[in-house]
Formats: sequence, C-alpha cells, structure tokens
Amino acid sequence: MKQTPSTAMNIATHGGLICVVVATLFPVLWVIKMAFRPSQTFATGLNPFPTTFSVANFTDLFAEPFFWEQLGNSFIVAGVTTVAGVFLACTSAYALSRFRFPGRRAALMGFLVTQMFPGTMMMIPLYHLLDQLMLLDRVLGLVLVYSTTAIPFCVWMLKGYFDTIPRAIEESALMDGASQFTLFWRIILPLSRPAIAVTALFSFMTAWNEFILAATFMSDEAAYTLPVRLQQYVGQYTAEWGHFAAGALLVSLPVMILFLVLQKHLVGGLTAGGVKG
Amino acid sequence: MGVEPRVGLWMPLATLAFCTLIGAVGLDRYGAHVQDEQLTWSGERVLDAMVASDGSVDRLQALDGIKVDRIVDDPAPRKYRFLWSLRGEEALDPANVDDAALVEVYLAARKAAVVRSESDHLKVARTHAGAVLVARVDRGRDVGTLPFYGGILLGLILCLGMMIWRGTGIYSALLGALAAFVPVAGGAAWAAHGLTLQAHELATAVASATGLQAPFVSNPAGVIGLAGLPLVLMIVLGIWTRSRASANRVAYTYLMPAAVGMGLLVLVPFIVGVALAFMRHDMGTFTWVGLANFGQILSSEGYGLTHPLSFYFTLAVTIGWTAINVVLHVGIGLALALVLQRPTLRFRGVYRVLLIVPWAVPSYITALIWKGMFDKQYGMINHVFGVIGLEPVAWFNGFWTAFTANVTTNTWLGFPFMMVVCLGALQSIPRDLYEAADVDGASAWAKFRHITLPLLKPALLPAVILGSVWTFNMFNVIYLVSNGQPHHSTDILITEAYRWAFEQDRYGYAAAYSVIIFLVLLSYSLLTQRVTKAAEEAYG
Repeated sequence: MKQTPSTAMNIATHGGLICVVVATLFPVLWVIKMAFRPSQTFATGLNPFPTTFSVANFTDLFAEPFFWEQLGNSFIVAGVTTVAGVFLACTSAYALSRFRFPGRRAALMGFLVTQMFPGTMMMIPLYHLLDQLMLLDRVLGLVLVYSTTAIPFCVWMLKGYFDTIPRAIEESALMDGASQFTLFWRIILPLSRPAIAVTALFSFMTAWNEFILAATFMSDEAAYTLPVRLQQYVGQYTAEWGHFAAGALLVSLPVMILFLVLQKHLVGGLTAGGVKG
Repeated sequence: MGVEPRVGLWMPLATLAFCTLIGAVGLDRYGAHVQDEQLTWSGERVLDAMVASDGSVDRLQALDGIKVDRIVDDPAPRKYRFLWSLRGEEALDPANVDDAALVEVYLAARKAAVVRSESDHLKVARTHAGAVLVARVDRGRDVGTLPFYGGILLGLILCLGMMIWRGTGIYSALLGALAAFVPVAGGAAWAAHGLTLQAHELATAVASATGLQAPFVSNPAGVIGLAGLPLVLMIVLGIWTRSRASANRVAYTYLMPAAVGMGLLVLVPFIVGVALAFMRHDMGTFTWVGLANFGQILSSEGYGLTHPLSFYFTLAVTIGWTAINVVLHVGIGLALALVLQRPTLRFRGVYRVLLIVPWAVPSYITALIWKGMFDKQYGMINHVFGVIGLEPVAWFNGFWTAFTANVTTNTWLGFPFMMVVCLGALQSIPRDLYEAADVDGASAWAKFRHITLPLLKPALLPAVILGSVWTFNMFNVIYLVSNGQPHHSTDILITEAYRWAFEQDRYGYAAAYSVIIFLVLLSYSLLTQRVTKAAEEAYG
C-alpha cells in the first residue's frame, strides 16, 4: 500500500492545481461575463464574474435575420457529419483492425498522411469540385467535406480500440455460425460504445466548430453555419463583443454538455488502443 | 447449385443508403432553383441574358421591352464585406468594374435572385452589390420532385420486397440494390440534365453578353458521375465478394465507403492542388509555368533571407512555433496527468473535468477571446501588468510579444488533449511495477524515469507526431490572434499560403507553398521514421 502524502504536500498540490484551473477557466468566465453585459466593448478589469445580468445580447442575437436558419444549419451539418463520419470510420477501422490484406499498411499510412495536407491547398480545388456538383451554398456540400475531414483521426482511434477487443469472442461466435456482418454489428460495435461515443464527439466538433471552409463555400447568409456569422461580430469592421460572447456561449454549450457526458470515456476511448497491455 | 454466400443486411442497406444520398443530392440540387413568390427559374431555358455590372439603370432601359422602375439600392451586406475581407481588400476593388462584374456574374449565374418578372419571357434579377441581370427565358420542362421521392420510395419497396422474396442472400441484395438505384439515378440524371442545361446556358449567355469569360460552367457529368460511381463500385464489389467470400474481399468491402469518400473529396482535390502549383493564376485563367513558383519561393525572390515574407523566415517561425507548442503541450499535459492520476488525490474528477474545458471550447472563440485579452487598451493582461506595476505592452507591435500571445493561446487550447492522452496511458501501466520498485526502494524520479516514461512512450509518440502536424498547420490561432502582425512576421507557412491565395489571388503560388508545406511535414514524419513503426507498435 502507498502511504498518504503529507498534509503540506497535499496543500501544495491542491494550491497548484487550483492555480492552473483558474488560469484555465479565466477566458471562459470572461465570455460568460461579457455575454450578460449590456455592452459591446471588451470587458476590462480583473473580476471574471458577471456583475450584471442582462439578456439583451441574447435577444439581439435571436432577432438577427437568419439566426435560427444558421443555428439549424449548424445542427444539421454537425449531426449528419457525425452519423456519416462515424459510420464510415467504423467500417474502415474494422477492416483495418481485423483483416490483414494487401494495401492495409498503405491505407493506414494514407489516413495519417491526409492529416498533413494543408487546408489552403484543398480549398480552391474543393471549391471548384463543389461548384461542379452544384453543392456550393448547400448544407450537403459541407457535410460531405466535413465527413471526409473527420474520418482519418476517427479511423485511427477506433482501430486502436477495436484492436483491444479479444478475438476469442468473435471466434466463438463464428463457431455458432454468425456471419461476418453479425460479428461487426452485434459484437464489435456494442463492445466499442465508449470509443464510438468519443469518435462521434470529435466528428461533431469538427463540423460544429469549422468556419473557414464554411465561409468560403457559403455565400448566402441563410446558408451560413453559426461560426461563420459569429466570428464576423469581431471581424475587421465590427467589434460587437457582447453579441459575440452571447453567441459563443450558445455555440459552446452543446459541446460542453457532450464533453461532460462523455468525459469518462474520453480517457479510455482515446488511448485504449495505444497501450494494449 | 452452390450455397449462396450470405452477406446479411449490410449490402442492400448500404446501397439503399447510397441511393438515398443520391436522391437527396438530386432533391437538394432541385431545390437550388431560386423562387420568387410564384416564379421559378427551374425548368426554364435561358435564351439571352445581360448583366449591368455597375447596376446602372440606363443600360437596362436601353434593353428592348424592359421598363425598370425600381432597383433597390442595397449597400453590400455584411456577408459580402466578409467575402471581400477574406479575399483581401485590394484584390476586389468595387470600383473596378471588371472584378466586381466577374464576381457578380458568377453569383448571378449560380443563383440569381429573381426580383421581378416583366413578362413571361423576361426576368430581372438583382444580385447583391447592385448588379442587375436580365434574362430572356423560355418555359421548358419543369422537373418535379417526384423522381426523387418516388425513386427513393420505389427503391425501398423493391429492395425490401426482394429481400422478403429471396432472403438476404447476395443475389437478392444485388437485385434489390439495382432496383433501388435505377429510378433514383435516372430521376436525378434526368433532372440534373434539365437543370444544368439551364445553368450552363445562363452562364454562357451571361458570358457572351458581358464579354467576360464564364468562370464556372456547370457540368451535368459531375452529378451523373457521382450517382454512377457507387453503383459501379457496389456491383463490382458485389460480384467479387460473391465469387468467394475471401477475407480480403470482405475487408475491401468494409473499407470501400470511406475510401470512395476520401478519394473523391480528399485525394482528387489534393491532386488538383498539386497541379495548380505548376500554374500561374491570372484573372480566372491558369497557365502552365513549370517549376517557376517553387523557384520563386525557394530563392525567396524579391526579399532578403531574413525578410518576414521570405520563405525561410516563415519556415523558421513555423518550426519554432511547432516545437515550443508541442513541448509545452506535452510538458503541461504530462505534469497534470501525473498529479491527477494519484488515487489519493481528492476531487480529481472535478479537476479533470475543469481542465478539459479548453478542449470543448471552439478554437475560433478561444482565439478571438485571447486576442481581446492581449488588447493594449482593454486587455486583461495589460491590466494585470498595471496592477503589478509594469508598463502596458502593445502585444501585436513586436515580433516576440505577438509570438508569445500566439503561443499562450495555443498552449491554453492544446494541453488538455495531451493531458487526456497521458491520463489514459498512465492508467494502463500496471500498479505492481511501482510496488516492486517501492520494495526495491526506488526514488520517485527513478520510478518516473524507468517505469513511467518508457511505458508511456508508445502511446505518447503517435500523439506527439499528430500534435506537431496539427500545430504546424494551426491556422485558426495565428490568423485570428496576431493575424501575422507585425508585418507578416508571425505568420506561419499555412497562413502565409492562405494570404497568397485569397489576398493576392496568386493561387498557383499559394498551391506551390502548400505543396512545400506538405513535403516538409511528410519528410518530418519519414525522418522520424517512427510514425509507422511507433504506430504499428502502438496500434498493432
């Protein structure tokens, strides 16, 4: 058994951690403070806690033309991307984890190498491609692009997790006459729920937070996703910090909630594959 | 007759999903037509069109049969200001009619907003910056939404019917897939033909009316190709899997959906991007220039080696930026993970949740907030400086201060990922190793050095490599926090490339820049030679 550290040590540890936590939460508190402040300037001072409670920024935001459309777009894009991204990542990760076939290594490397493609290089060709398919200004175009962006990381993560599932389970199922698809659908997927949850979270975040591609591909304000509109509030021409903070709060909320719900799986889901014992 | 290989529901369902997608594409595209209250351009053939790019009413009045009594004066809405700011102010001068016209013609051709209809045959469209598009149209066939909804429904019924009739074997799966596909694809192609014909003609007519090149001409082959590709692949793979369900073929079938998507939307644009690197862009046309772009970049033509716009200066900044960030991410992440994994620590769950928060905040929000924090006048940082008696700093006026601001932001953004990776890896280190070390009387440092670190490495290495690649290409932070200030000196390669493309319109040059970025990253990971090895070791 390990002995308990001394009280002094304990206090020092907690003190240090609290310092880090304060530094971590400060900008977040700042957003909350500005969101509830009836002003558009950047909040000054040192007190990170809200001093006023005004919902003016939020009501302004809701009254914006297209706000609800943009919110809807964001939800549709992120939702469909999540489903598509996770489905595609699951099937490929399964193939990469359970089969040894010619080209497997190349595929694994390929997924990794795509992470090195600079976004600027893809933007112009993608723009033309979507234009050819008449998918500019359409939610579907963004969904297609985001799904493929999210796939490589998800594949690597899921493959690592699948690797940790003992093959013995599948072998015994095979004995019982299960089909290949049953193995995948009824054994691997249910066992990988934590990893899939984390993968879904990442896919969702990819689509939910992206703004550069969305700003390039969408020229119709009604087709914007929320981030495109939000970061214009403090762009070159305007500095509406209050509106920005209120919007930032709204945008961060779904992700925060998902993070809190899934944070237990985060630790396991992210590294389980990396460290099979 | 041999036993029919069973593939389960997977095959027909996947095909049905594809068909639905195609149907959705068709519907989506069909919905792309612009509607006035009652008027729609869908299904009409454009015979002639003209654009008054400067929005001048005179030119319109001169057109036969058109009386323009009202052109709404619409100051460019925010979104176009944004479009311009994305592409750079100087690149698009609203006073420069040619540029404005090009953009407007393009926008008009893509989705002209019909504001009024003079007659059955004349339509006036107003685009956003006041340009006016007049088109003479002829009613053609109007493609309803029936082919799409009907196709999807029919396909579904047929597919299910086949499966009930013949079971879920491979033959019925293929037949069902085919049955589902044909009506949808046919409808999509039919409608796509009608629509793209119209869009094509509109674009051409506009081009001939203005003497400008039609910059983007729609192509029906794209949609039909998109519709056909999955079908062909499905059939080929189906037959292939059918012949003998060898493990390889099953593997390829599982890999295929993602591979098709990646091929179409990642590989193709990548290849096009590489091709662009050998071209020069000038007013919408590309000319082949061979290696000239690379030569210009690598010789840092026009700039001294230490000039902020020199490639080597930017490369040095990028490498420094990546190294510092990754060291800070891993250092802070590992330190926190070591503290948080102690079972005796109280509230560790709370700490963990709170420390993950930066990860959950969208990075553009983080970046903009930190930019505000570093503001000379209002920023919190300078306020703190004032409290402890230091002079306020104009953060974005000097290279090092601006660089520090960027690094601070990105550190805040990135350490939780590494912390979580470390936490996961630490959890899997067997406790008894430490207990054995305790028995041997090993010091805390010795335990860390000889147990924790070596066992952490396999999980940490891929994360570090991935992390450095991400940091190398971290566009958001640089672009939104320092925005390259002062004088582009804090730009990293990726933001520099973005500026060349969208602020200078030098697409070829920017593409060459991007190719170099890619090559640098690739050689980095090959040089470490451990990506594959470490990954294989770690992930099997």
